[in-house]
Amino acid sequence: MNVPTALTVLYDSSCALCIRCRDWLSRQDAFVPMRFMACGSKQAREIYGSVPWLGEELVVVSDHGDVWAGPAAFITALWALREWREWSYRISGPELAPLAERFFHAISSNRKTIAAIIAPDPCEGGTCRVPHAYR
Amino acid sequence: METPYLVPVYATYAVITLGLTIFLARTLSKNGAIFLEDVFKDTPKLAGAVNTLLVVGFYLVNLGYAALIMKAEGAETSVAAVEVLAWKLGALLMSLAFMHFVNLFVFYRIRRRSRLAQLPPPVMPQMQMQMPVPQYFPQPTA
Repeated sequence: MNVPTALTVLYDSSCALCIRCRDWLSRQDAFVPMRFMACGSKQAREIYGSVPWLGEELVVVSDHGDVWAGPAAFITALWALREWREWSYRISGPELAPLAERFFHAISSNRKTIAAIIAPDPCEGGTCRVPHAYR
Repeated sequence: METPYLVPVYATYAVITLGLTIFLARTLSKNGAIFLEDVFKDTPKLAGAVNTLLVVGFYLVNLGYAALIMKAEGAETSVAAVEVLAWKLGALLMSLAFMHFVNLFVFYRIRRRSRLAQLPPPVMPQMQMQMPVPQYFPQPTA
């Protein structure tokens, strides 16, 4: 594995929780630059159509073509952040990895329900704030 | 209350306090510089600046604390004077030791943070895909 120098985060743009997470990610100081792409977008399907988890799970792809999906993608996204790299190592260790994995799966598979509770706006009209609006 | 020994106690205390603080600050900056040069390899000026700032903070806290604990109740005999002086210096040394370890911890954290920047992702990728050419690279935002 080459150490990534840039990451592409493929998230589900149809869930408000995912959009919040994307915005949070994009506001953090990062060691490596990240770009965000809606997993259902035409561009994502063109470039990353060969990734079997696309649309099902969170997917992170490095500029070298390494693909992480699900909990591993979550950890890799944390790894990219200055404040959270230490935590990415901590939660991928033997004690916390099973817990982190269960937590991520629970959040990820119930993302629509959680999003409906915390942010009733489904964002269908494209009225979600863009990341830079938070700065 | 007659306290004939209080002035010598204060004088000795002031001299030892200043001497100790200056000696410790110099030791700290001399050895800390080596640490910081390693951390800020690309920006040696920054290493110098961080070092100076840490030393200034060290001086401020130590001299401030030393001034605060200076006042003594009284020293009527020479034995009492020595005891008072010893108590003050002991308190001062403990605070210096505490500051010293705080500083060491700060250096350790800074160094660990800079090492983290070199580490690869903790989890192995699940798949390797051919990247199309040209690749879209996100531009780092300033």
